[in-house]
Parts: sequence; structure tokens; C-alpha cells
Amino acid sequence: MSVENLKAYIESGVLELYVLGDLSPEEALQVEEIAIKHQEVRDELAAIENAIEKFAMQNALQPPASVETKLFEKLGISLDEETESVSIPSLTQETKIVQFESHDGKVRTLRYALVACVALLVISTAALFITYTKLTDAHDQIASLNLDKQKFAGIVSKLEYSNQGLSNLVEMNDSKEWATIKMQGQAISPQSKMNVYWNKKNKSVLINYLAMDLPKADAQHEYQLWAMVNGKPVSLGVFGKTDSTSKEALLKMQTIQEAQAFAVTLEPMGGSVNPTMEKLTVMGGV
Amino acid sequence: MYSPALYGVISRIITHTELAEDVLQETFVKIWQSAEHYDNTKGRLFTWMMNIARNLSIDKLRSKDFKNSLKNQDIENNVSFVDEQNKVTFNPDVLGIKQLVENLKPDLQAVLDLVYYKGFTHVEAAEKLDLPLGTVKTRIRLAIIELRRNFN
Repeated sequence: MSVENLKAYIESGVLELYVLGDLSPEEALQVEEIAIKHQEVRDELAAIENAIEKFAMQNALQPPASVETKLFEKLGISLDEETESVSIPSLTQETKIVQFESHDGKVRTLRYALVACVALLVISTAALFITYTKLTDAHDQIASLNLDKQKFAGIVSKLEYSNQGLSNLVEMNDSKEWATIKMQGQAISPQSKMNVYWNKKNKSVLINYLAMDLPKADAQHEYQLWAMVNGKPVSLGVFGKTDSTSKEALLKMQTIQEAQAFAVTLEPMGGSVNPTMEKLTVMGGV
Repeated sequence: MYSPALYGVISRIITHTELAEDVLQETFVKIWQSAEHYDNTKGRLFTWMMNIARNLSIDKLRSKDFKNSLKNQDIENNVSFVDEQNKVTFNPDVLGIKQLVENLKPDLQAVLDLVYYKGFTHVEAAEKLDLPLGTVKTRIRLAIIELRRNFN
């Protein structure tokens, strides 16, 4: 472009329109191409821009503070959107990185918190599981201990029972007050035997479950103790099964003033008035 | 730092305060979002920002929203609003600039008024003033040369 043409170009006013953004994209591109080639055009453009900028600066208006606040809110939002897009405008890169970091920092903090939470959850679950297992074990132990305890309690009561019976036996044997009448097995049960203890002083009669060996009576029958007084049987009462569950090994029968012999028969429940002689189990004289 | 200057530009095109604030906001958002398109070899940063502000202001002025907002004014606000529209009273902030432009010759002033204040393109200004395009261009140039002289 010749110097005159260039001057005419500058004076056409197209550069002013370019600066005012009043050209089509094609025209604007043309101006840019010419500006690259010619220093005069560049200088002219700079002068126009400078004038307009100064003009605008001189006539600046302070916007209300609220606009700034709203703007930052809005930019904050649009920034979030933009962090997702790949391209980052070079001009705003610096500011954006700051945003990124603070955002990133928050995310990192949250991530740490999440990791901590997960770890805590895992530990808690493990602890809970261990506790549960131990609790189950403890329950099992308690159950088996309870069983043992019952067993021991049973054994202890049995031992107490036999101990009482045995100590009484010893006592009675030693004592001169008590007469021990040994009854022997009769026809229906030759192996049977039983002792009756008769107090010479107060005439009370005792039997000891431990000192008897009688066949087991069935549910409908029980044994009845008789005293032979001058050839007549006198009932001294009934007693239960030989393996009595009662705590007392000793059983007090009715007192009898005098007797020549004692006998035991198997009678229907509740006893009989007269002994059933066929069921005479043991008998012994005083 | 450019916000008062840009607000000044916007306020001259859009006299309605709230709308002008909205446009200022939109301008900054747009500057922010399209910063990658700015090429400093092509011109000053302010020129680029000013053109964004002007384009958004003009778009707003021609948008349906704005036209509707003109129709939907409260009755109480109507008198002052109509006054403002008719420029019976001036926004006091704008008074200074008016004076400056008034130092220009009336024909230069008319062109600059349309192109700079009202956001007209030079083609629209030519139609409005019933002048050939070339004349409008020349007058814009002369007005800006006048401004350049004022500032230097």
C-alpha cells in the first residue's frame, strides 16, 4: 500500500469503527492484516484506543458495591462450571489456580475425612465382631458352668443326704439308748434287709433309708412297718420308695411301747389295717 | 479497576440503573469466560473489554426483556421513568460527559451521541441522520480526533 493510500485508509474512519467494534468480522480481519504490515496504522489504532480509553476513564461511574458482591457470586458459579472444561484461559489462569487449590484443598480434606471414617468403620466392625465372638463364648461358658453347677449341687445334696444318714447310723450304733433291730429278707425277697432303730427310753422308732435294701416298690404300692406286739401286728406307718428323694435319710415312725418283732410288708398305697402276709419282705426279732 | 470505566460506558447506553448493573455483571462474566480469546497484539485490553460491554448493552437494549421491562413499569415510577427516557432530566453522573461532548461541533456530537451513547452502528447512525455512510465514518473519526486533542 502506498503512503497516500495508507493515509486515505487511515482517514476513511475505518480504524475508529474497528476500535468501536463496529466492523464485520471480515473487515476487522482486514484491518488487522494491514495493521501488521504498517506501523502508521498501528500507531493510529493505538492513539484511537488511547483516546477512547481515556474518554471512558474520565467518564467512569462507580458501580454500586452490591454489583461486585453479586459478580463474585456469579463468577464463583461460572468458575465451577469452567473447572470441568479442559481449556483454561491464559489471562485468568492465575486466579483460577487459586480457586482450584482452595477447591482441591477442600476436596482433599473431605477425602481424608472419608478415609478416616472408613478406617474407623472397619475398626469398629472388627471390634464389634471380636466382642460378639467373645460374648458368644462367654454365653457358652456360662451355660456349661451352670450345667456343672447343677450337677455339683445335685452331688452335694446327695452327699449331704448320705452323710446325714451315715452319721446318724454311727450315732445310733454308738448310743446305748437305741436298739438296732436287723430284719432279714423273707420268702419273696431273700436278699432284702433293713434296720429299725428303737429308742428304749422314749420308745420312738426310726428307720434309715441308707440302712435298707428292699426291692423297688411300684407306683401303686409302698412299704408298711409293723411291730409284733404279743403276736399281733401293729402298724407303725408307711414309708416310701427305698431311693427316697426326701432330704432326710432318717424317717420317724410311730412310737411303740413294746414289741417282740418288727416286720415290713408291701401294701397298697396308704397302707393296710392288717398286714398282707404274702408280701412280707423283711422281718426281725428284738 | 476497569469496572467504573465499563460501568460508565454501559450506563450511557442503558440509563436504567438496575439493568446497567446487570449488564456490568454480565460483562465481567463474559470477559472472564472468553479471556482466552483476547489477543494483546490486536489491541488494548480496555478496547476489547469495552466492546464486550457495548455489545452486551446493545443486545440488552434490543432484547425482549428490556422491551418488556419498559412496558411493565409501575404506575408510580412511570412519570420519572418516562422523564428519564425522554431525557427531560439528566442522570447527574452523565452531566460531565455531556458537557465535554457539547464542546464538539453539533454534527460531530450527533454522530458520537448515536454511536457511543446509544450503541448505534455507523450504518444505523447513517440511516438515522440520513447521511451517506462515508460522511458518518468521517464524522466519527473527526469526533475521536477531537477527543484525542482534548486528552493530549
